[in-house]
Amino acid sequence: MSVATVENHLETLKSMLQGHGGPGFEQDIAGIAESAFRTYTPDVQRDTLGNVIATVSGEGAGVRPRVMLSAHMDEIALVVTKVDKGGFLRVWQSGGFDARTLVGQEVIVHGHEQLHGIVGSKPPHLTTPEERSQAAPLTDLFIDVAMPEDRVRKLVDVGSRVTLYRQTMDLLNDRISGKALDNRTSVAVILECLKALKSYHHSADVLAVATVQEEVGVRGAQTAAYGLRPDIAIAIDVTFADMPGQAPDESYKIGKGPAVCFGPNIHPKVFKGLQATATQLRIPYQLELSQGPTGTDARAFQITQSGIASGLVGIAIRYMHTSVETGSYNDIVDCGRLLAGYVASINQASVEELSCY
Amino acid sequence: MERMKEFIRQLASQIIPSGYERNALPDLLRSLEDIADETHIDVLGNGIVKKAGHGPHVAISAHIDEPGVMVIHVEDNGYLRILSVGDLQPGRLIGRHVQFTGGSIGIVGVESEVRAENVTYDHLYVDLGCQTAAEANALTPIGTCGVALEPVVELEGDCLAGRALDNRAGCAAAIEAFRALAGEGRRVSLVLAAQSTVGARGAKTAAFALEPDVVFVIDAAPAGDMPKATRMELSLGQGPAIKILDGTIVIPLAMKDLLRKAADEMKINVQYEVWPNGKSDSGAYHLSQSGVLVGSISYPARYVGGISTVVNINDVQAVKDLVIAAAKAYQ
Amino acid sequence: MLLKQLTEAMGPSGFEDEVRNLLREQLSDKVDHMYTDVLGNLFAEKHSDKTGPRVMLDAHMDEVGMMIVHAEDNGLLRFRPLGGIDPRVLVSKPVRIGSEKRYGVIGSKPIHLQTMEERKKPLRMDQLYIDIGAQSKDEALAHIQLGDVAVFATEYAEIGERAAKAKSFDDRVGCSIVAEAMERQWQIPVTGVFTVQEEIGLRGATAAAYRINPDIAIAVEGTVCFDVVDAPSHGQSTVLGKGPALTVQDGQTLADARFLEFLIATAEKHNIPWQLRRVKGGSNDFGAIHKVREGIVGGAISVPVRYIHAPAQIISLDDYQASLQLVCAAITEIQEGRWNA
Repeated sequence: MSVATVENHLETLKSMLQGHGGPGFEQDIAGIAESAFRTYTPDVQRDTLGNVIATVSGEGAGVRPRVMLSAHMDEIALVVTKVDKGGFLRVWQSGGFDARTLVGQEVIVHGHEQLHGIVGSKPPHLTTPEERSQAAPLTDLFIDVAMPEDRVRKLVDVGSRVTLYRQTMDLLNDRISGKALDNRTSVAVILECLKALKSYHHSADVLAVATVQEEVGVRGAQTAAYGLRPDIAIAIDVTFADMPGQAPDESYKIGKGPAVCFGPNIHPKVFKGLQATATQLRIPYQLELSQGPTGTDARAFQITQSGIASGLVGIAIRYMHTSVETGSYNDIVDCGRLLAGYVASINQASVEELSCY
Repeated sequence: MERMKEFIRQLASQIIPSGYERNALPDLLRSLEDIADETHIDVLGNGIVKKAGHGPHVAISAHIDEPGVMVIHVEDNGYLRILSVGDLQPGRLIGRHVQFTGGSIGIVGVESEVRAENVTYDHLYVDLGCQTAAEANALTPIGTCGVALEPVVELEGDCLAGRALDNRAGCAAAIEAFRALAGEGRRVSLVLAAQSTVGARGAKTAAFALEPDVVFVIDAAPAGDMPKATRMELSLGQGPAIKILDGTIVIPLAMKDLLRKAADEMKINVQYEVWPNGKSDSGAYHLSQSGVLVGSISYPARYVGGISTVVNINDVQAVKDLVIAAAKAYQ
Repeated sequence: MLLKQLTEAMGPSGFEDEVRNLLREQLSDKVDHMYTDVLGNLFAEKHSDKTGPRVMLDAHMDEVGMMIVHAEDNGLLRFRPLGGIDPRVLVSKPVRIGSEKRYGVIGSKPIHLQTMEERKKPLRMDQLYIDIGAQSKDEALAHIQLGDVAVFATEYAEIGERAAKAKSFDDRVGCSIVAEAMERQWQIPVTGVFTVQEEIGLRGATAAAYRINPDIAIAVEGTVCFDVVDAPSHGQSTVLGKGPALTVQDGQTLADARFLEFLIATAEKHNIPWQLRRVKGGSNDFGAIHKVREGIVGGAISVPVRYIHAPAQIISLDDYQASLQLVCAAITEIQEGRWNA
């Protein structure tokens, strides 16, 4: 067991942020998550889709509550649809990009080798005033890997994946900025939770899961929840931080603690339990309201098999789905502490109450 | 190749709009009784054929349904009002003949006030030649399904064009692959999947019931080798397409590698399919229960989503060969 | 009257407590066993010791509603819809909010102050506010909490000729019919399932059907009816007073032809009027139920509802009775062995 990893999950997070793994090719991130989970338990498995599942056993004999904590580890990615004339690559998206943020973006093309590429743009000298007032659609963009066409064709196939390239940066107030904070910050939340949980006696088994393929439709969460069938499943996913022009109920504050979700997708007693834990531990939190199935792993959990009591927490980040997503590590630690306190409060009686309306 | 061609033509001659599979499947299932241990039609209308044997449980699936229309109202003067079953653009039907499952044929008309770009099913009607509602009701009561008539014809270069080639060509390949694997004593199931065009409904329940170790899904994928076609790097006659992803699935990398290796060993030229918004049964299998391994092998088809598609028999034949090889390579 | 109580109860998706409590009270001494699951679905079991096909009767408890998401400095409340609401029906309607059922009104800028352009454009949800009379944000938040839900403030009444008006006939008619059917004695195991969260994606029914795994499922629903002036005959979906509507195709289901024929034959045999639902849009819990596990056979029986999802809806009381008769006749036919898949 590496003491350094246990002590500092900020470094684990940074290595995950610098890593690459979009929907269906999460294996590099899965490897980092797996070794971090292994500092807490030897029981780490992967399922058919590639979800990483770590089980941290609770105390006591007999039936123990099973609490699943899940964070998707995939990032939005691009996929090559054509190697065009001159070796320029055409792409489509696996997850939702704002094509306007891609122009001039550096990327990594995962061909037979990793290639550094640039999303090309026409210089202002050559663009007409009409063109300047139009945002180019994704189909018009191309990636330049700066090598001759025949060499590109040897190294890149239709179907090769492309991810954003961005060095993670430290900003003021312990904020970090880079790509894939959605949702690897939440994998870090789980790690901080496991760390905090060490100082508790807990009867619940914790199923810590780094899920795959959330960005293409909450897929890994479906099969993971089906296979594990926990009593409670809490999704950890990022939410929107405030920006001018956003609706007030879609604008949370960075550095003001985790957002705790309430709404039809969330079991009311799980919400209340999280709220009570936050109050008891004096952890600041923000109320996030939703009115339907959330766009997170919790959407799948609630209606898996005969139904699973689901919860949703996460930190607020700005500029979601760009290469400069920005959030605070303090929120991550707070969110981890909140989950640890909640997990420790769960016993078999509280599980049975979940079916009592 | 001639045999495959005839088989495809025979399958494509059947009218099987989604939801009508139960009526169309019995003869086909009977024809497989010589090699199968068991055949049945399940609740959603999937045709399921099983053979016990050695090795992992391999399932081969091809949807047998096609998009069509459904009678939803009969006007007093005998005209029919229709809806689509599955995704069939209303504008494509105007002026065409449709045939209903009972055999009646009509022509699709459009209310004259509506502009071409605004046409919805609300503006279409079918003229059976009937004078009264009673007459029309007797032939095509509400709920009767039909398809656009566009019989299969042969084009040059081993190509076929016509209605329902998507996915009867895939059914032909799947049935032949099932026969080959069952004949070798392997454990294999065949799903002629129902209700695919309305959203992989049959595949979902079939996957739950069968719990296979691996599924190979065979379907059409749009070719992009026509003038000014939407960008899609698939050409007719260039061999099977190994699916990388569509709107329902991202194929596991290990499966892509397994298919590629099997193709290389068989000296089958392959292409890669990236069809981001494409719909298939693959995702329904992949996400069943705690997850099922899926490989998807497509044959390129021109004008997918249209009334008539074009496929190349050699591609279909090679899809069959690749599925057999991949099933054997899977441990 | 149960239907009146049910329609006047508050139960937007995810917040079905009041409806659930009413049904539980109504059925407590009339079924063998009642329980809830983690989603809040209510199960009422009867005759589970008997042999024969296990029938699931489904009706969803939830209705479309609103959630309060923000209080403005001037005390007006921002809200978002729970389920599909057309914002055009909201302007000038009263609502009841939270467990105290406090009144609020949805107002708009007076017509005098609107420009000609504004008058032509429907108001968007984010341009509408609920006014509870509060004069400031603090005062508003002293009386309601963010996350409180609201529903239309409409009273049930019988009007016209054999008709009734209320909110939420979709699907309190189904709840009432399933409750009435569950009060009767049957020769086969029947479970009445009152589901949650239909309006936001058939979610309760998905988990409920997985749990019950019935041999046959029938969803009882309130469905679209638009048999009004100006509607073309093929755009009406259903006609008020013409009996329960059976589905051939909707957004989630292609009818199982065998079960549809069974329901039609049952209606004919028992002299119950019936009609076909003639529209593709919309769906009901059966859309989720039939895709669960290995597939579940059955169908939907729907009561036509004019102005569905709007504050004031209309049903025919004859349709209600005929739908109840058809549900019961179908169970009778099933228990007498006349349904053979």
